[in-house]
Amino acid sequence: MATIGEIAPAIALLPLASFAVALASVVFAPRLLQKGGAIPGILATAGSLVLSVWAFVHVGGGEPIEQELLAWAAAPDSFELTLGVLIDPLAALMLVIVSLVAFLVHVFSLGYMNAEGETGLHRYYAELGLFTFSMLFFVMADNILMAFMFFELVGLCSFLLIGFWFREEAPASAAKKAFLVTRFGDYFFLVGVVGIFAAFGTGRFVGSEGFPHLAEEAIAEGHEILGMSPETGVMVLGLLVLGGVIGKSAQFPLHTWLPDAMEGPTTVSALIHAATMVAAGVYLVARMFGFYALSPTLLAIIALVGGFTALFAATMGVVKDEIKQVLAYSTISQYGYMMLGLGAGGYVAGTFHLMNHAFFKALLFLGAGSVIIATHHTHDMWKMGGLKEKLPVTYYTFLAGSLALAGIVPFSGFWSKDEILYESIVHGLGTDGGLGVLLLLAFAFGLLAVFFTGFYTFRMVALTFHGEPRTEVAEDAHGVGWSVKLPLIVLGVLATVAGLVNMAPLDVEYLHSWLDTTEEAGLLTSAHHYEEVLHDVAHVEAATLTPIATAAVSLGLALAGALAAWRLYGSDPQPHTDRLGSIKELVGNNYYQDEYQVWLAEGVTLPLSRAADTFDQVVVDGVVDGVSSVSLFSGRRIRRIQSGIVSNYVALLTAGLVVLLVTFAFMGGWF
Amino acid sequence: MVSPDWLALAPHGILGLTAMVLLLYDMIDPDSRNRLALASIATVGSLAALAASAWLLAVGVGPSESVSLFDGQLVVDGVALFFSVVFTTVAALVTVASYDYLADHSYQAEYYSLVVLATTGMVVLASANSLATAFVSLELVSLPSYALVAFLKTNRGSVEAGTKYFLIGALSSAVFVYGISLVYAVAGSLHFETLAAFFAEQGIEQAGVFGLGIVMIVGGVAFKTASVPFHFWAPEAYEGAPAPISGFLSSASKAAGFVLAFRAFNVAFSLDIAAVSGAIDWALLFQILAVVTMIVGNFAAAVQERVKRMLAYSSVGHAGYVLIGLAAITSGGAGGNSIVMGAAMMHLLVYGVMNTGAFLFVGMAEYWGVGRRFEDYNGLSKQAPMACVAMAIFMFSLAGLPPFGGFFSKYVLFLGAIQAGFWWLAAIGAVTSALSLYYYSRVVKAIWIEDPSADFRLRGRPVGLYAAVMLAGVLTVALLPAFGVGIEAAYDAASVLFA
Repeated sequence: MATIGEIAPAIALLPLASFAVALASVVFAPRLLQKGGAIPGILATAGSLVLSVWAFVHVGGGEPIEQELLAWAAAPDSFELTLGVLIDPLAALMLVIVSLVAFLVHVFSLGYMNAEGETGLHRYYAELGLFTFSMLFFVMADNILMAFMFFELVGLCSFLLIGFWFREEAPASAAKKAFLVTRFGDYFFLVGVVGIFAAFGTGRFVGSEGFPHLAEEAIAEGHEILGMSPETGVMVLGLLVLGGVIGKSAQFPLHTWLPDAMEGPTTVSALIHAATMVAAGVYLVARMFGFYALSPTLLAIIALVGGFTALFAATMGVVKDEIKQVLAYSTISQYGYMMLGLGAGGYVAGTFHLMNHAFFKALLFLGAGSVIIATHHTHDMWKMGGLKEKLPVTYYTFLAGSLALAGIVPFSGFWSKDEILYESIVHGLGTDGGLGVLLLLAFAFGLLAVFFTGFYTFRMVALTFHGEPRTEVAEDAHGVGWSVKLPLIVLGVLATVAGLVNMAPLDVEYLHSWLDTTEEAGLLTSAHHYEEVLHDVAHVEAATLTPIATAAVSLGLALAGALAAWRLYGSDPQPHTDRLGSIKELVGNNYYQDEYQVWLAEGVTLPLSRAADTFDQVVVDGVVDGVSSVSLFSGRRIRRIQSGIVSNYVALLTAGLVVLLVTFAFMGGWF
Repeated sequence: MVSPDWLALAPHGILGLTAMVLLLYDMIDPDSRNRLALASIATVGSLAALAASAWLLAVGVGPSESVSLFDGQLVVDGVALFFSVVFTTVAALVTVASYDYLADHSYQAEYYSLVVLATTGMVVLASANSLATAFVSLELVSLPSYALVAFLKTNRGSVEAGTKYFLIGALSSAVFVYGISLVYAVAGSLHFETLAAFFAEQGIEQAGVFGLGIVMIVGGVAFKTASVPFHFWAPEAYEGAPAPISGFLSSASKAAGFVLAFRAFNVAFSLDIAAVSGAIDWALLFQILAVVTMIVGNFAAAVQERVKRMLAYSSVGHAGYVLIGLAAITSGGAGGNSIVMGAAMMHLLVYGVMNTGAFLFVGMAEYWGVGRRFEDYNGLSKQAPMACVAMAIFMFSLAGLPPFGGFFSKYVLFLGAIQAGFWWLAAIGAVTSALSLYYYSRVVKAIWIEDPSADFRLRGRPVGLYAAVMLAGVLTVALLPAFGVGIEAAYDAASVLFA
């Protein structure tokens, strides 16, 4: 009997197999697979889920899984490039989340894609399989180069799935935008990967040979990193990698791709937002938290970007009319919270929110998907209303997700969001210097965003489910099948209770101790180790403050936002946004983020590229052409020496000899 | 180790005997039409000599110990055996290919015996340890070559080429032997080690006479290796000669010139003495020759219209690359010297195989009568795909594209030059290699991409030519995995000269 330690790669390889099966069936036997290839995908992700749970239990026994799969390039005396599997508590947790959400999304797709008579289903399921495979291997990656490779594959799969309806203009353009914007961040990531290899000679995440620990030693001993002081070196490398994170996790200012990505199928949105693409960025920060925790500057930047993004995106979510748009901005905002948590030194808090968000955001998207198919593909919330009675399962589960998103006790989001805010204020108050001040600022952003979150969430619930049906489609909304309801119920339960695993204000900290499970194994990835690093290297201190206080304040704000939305939109809603005046313009246009980025591309980059092109065409090509003309010309000249007359040859030969003789005679001083 | 010592002369003896057997066969059965028997004798003789060289290397002659014979006139060491492998390999390819090429010709026994005699001369030259044996064996290489170039007696081009080759050769031999006499005048000896000992002890008093002698000896070498400005015979001789002979001359005969230079200049006239005493810095002389040869050879090749002539000039260019092996020698840099010279030897081995293969492909085209210009080769791949794959490999390997043997040998050569401090030699080599890709790829384009200009049918499948071309192709590819072994052997062999 194989152990999970041996067959761990199968967790990711099963979805790859479903990808291969779906692809092969398109080519060889299009009619062979019923349901457009859904069955292999469901089986594969179910298998992944079972294996992930097995791995989770195994890791829970205190022993992480480490396995080197392949050394695909080795340079003697410098470094090896390898593929390997690492499952520590963090990875085990993430594996369960990813495979669970992927499995539920596959099941839901039966109702969302198959039942709606979509075409191209083989392609859909093949891409879904590849997507899941990439994300699972990304989660299990034991070194940063491997992580980068699968990070890129995740990006590619998002491109393919967002552009699933590629024959229409909007999805195709959204797919390109998602690909290009995230790629912009990934350039920095790639440079960072190379830099990490150059500086430390390894890309390993964990252990005393891993680069976070080597960096820690470099700082302790004052060794230079890439010719810079160790603190600066860590900061530069961390920032470069952070570029990829900001792109993938849609943080300000690279968040603009995410709302457009709503053009893809809603199931894909659920997968992208909850467990794969967007989660990859934050997961990477958590994965190499031992590195980020070394630099107060990096922590401050992460926290500030996160806190700002949380507030910024939440304000935009307030004015959106389409249900998926609201959810898109809520995703950006929630990942901002995770970044805030991690930046504030709350490794457990950030991970906790990553987990909770995966459940409730998958739930909300699938719920939105259910609403959309029930209302014959209506996205605009103003055309809905009164769906509560028609879709009871959807309503109650969606409500659970909304309460979790808004952060209302005791739903999951409350606990993790509160822990993030608590971590940021106690570390902000306790830490001296700039980091403390910036953490407090980030905390203020995050706290303010709680109000907006409550507002837009309940505005969405009210507009969609409450009041009277406002259009015919809402009136004759039809019910949905079991394949839709089942995932909703599973996720609804999880969104309600998942938060109970780490109720910090009540001193229930199962997740915290879970992340410490394998501390003995020397991976240096335990929450406890990170706390030490934060304290010793980055000098992050905690002030004493009762957690009840922040919990009460954030709950109060969330309730205030929810109640305000309820009053304005609860029954007989009116578009109140006009009252905002010019602010509406600003927020409605997403603060002109797209416009300025387009201007950057068209107004700055394009002329620069044109200039470079002109330089290439005229100067570089000119030189190249010139060289070849000169070569051929001189070649013809040289050829002419070969006259065919042997006495000429003899003369030239003798002349050459004489020239050489005279030259060397002068140089050697023979006379 | 071999015992008795004379067994170390097995390659030389086998080749000499083979030549005698061929002549004997001709005596018994003059005007023989039995091509198979003649070609087989020559090929078996060459392969036996190849096997003997390999056996000697295997039993440890060379890297560990060298065998000195006839009072030090001949020496069998790693360098001699390494080059014996090159010569006999090329000779075997050429004799196999000649089986078809000579189908309708008379004087076949003479042809094969001349080839084998020239090979014997090369192998002796590789072992020559004094200027006297060197000169005699050089003539043993040259004289059969003149006859072989003019072998197509009814073809005006062949006869004219032979005459020109002979005239220039005579002049160059005269220069060479005069140079030898001047060195003898200074040192009173022709033996390499005695010369070295003499110069080390006495210094160089008559710097002018000595320097004059050295420049003239370089002239003799430059003739044999077809280096500018002693290269004028090469394009004409290679073009006029039967294609297998062109391959033989441009690969093996060129290598023979180099082995003489490698040994004479590093053993007898070592740079430590010649340059330090201020008489003559012959490394500078070879630098000049290398640069001029690389440039002239490659630039002239770029504008040729006929494939064979292009190959002729390209072989001049390759002589320039190998000259780097002498040009990048530095005084006192023993380790670096053996690396750069070992790389040059390895390039000669790789070049020997791929260049012979390319000429044999041209020979096959001549056999089919498809014409000599690039355009005439258009669409050949449709008729002879396998041979054209081999030709494409030769061309890309000659140009130095990875992943072929030619890439690695050029790479280690240029790298060795850079490590010795001659980055500019490597730079010129790299630039001219880039240029060479232009004219080599013209051939590939013609045979693979262009459509046939006329509807022609190739007559027959010349088995011997085909076999030789394919064998050369396989060797060019096989030298890739075997490159590590070869380069180690070359480094070891070269280091003996600097001991």
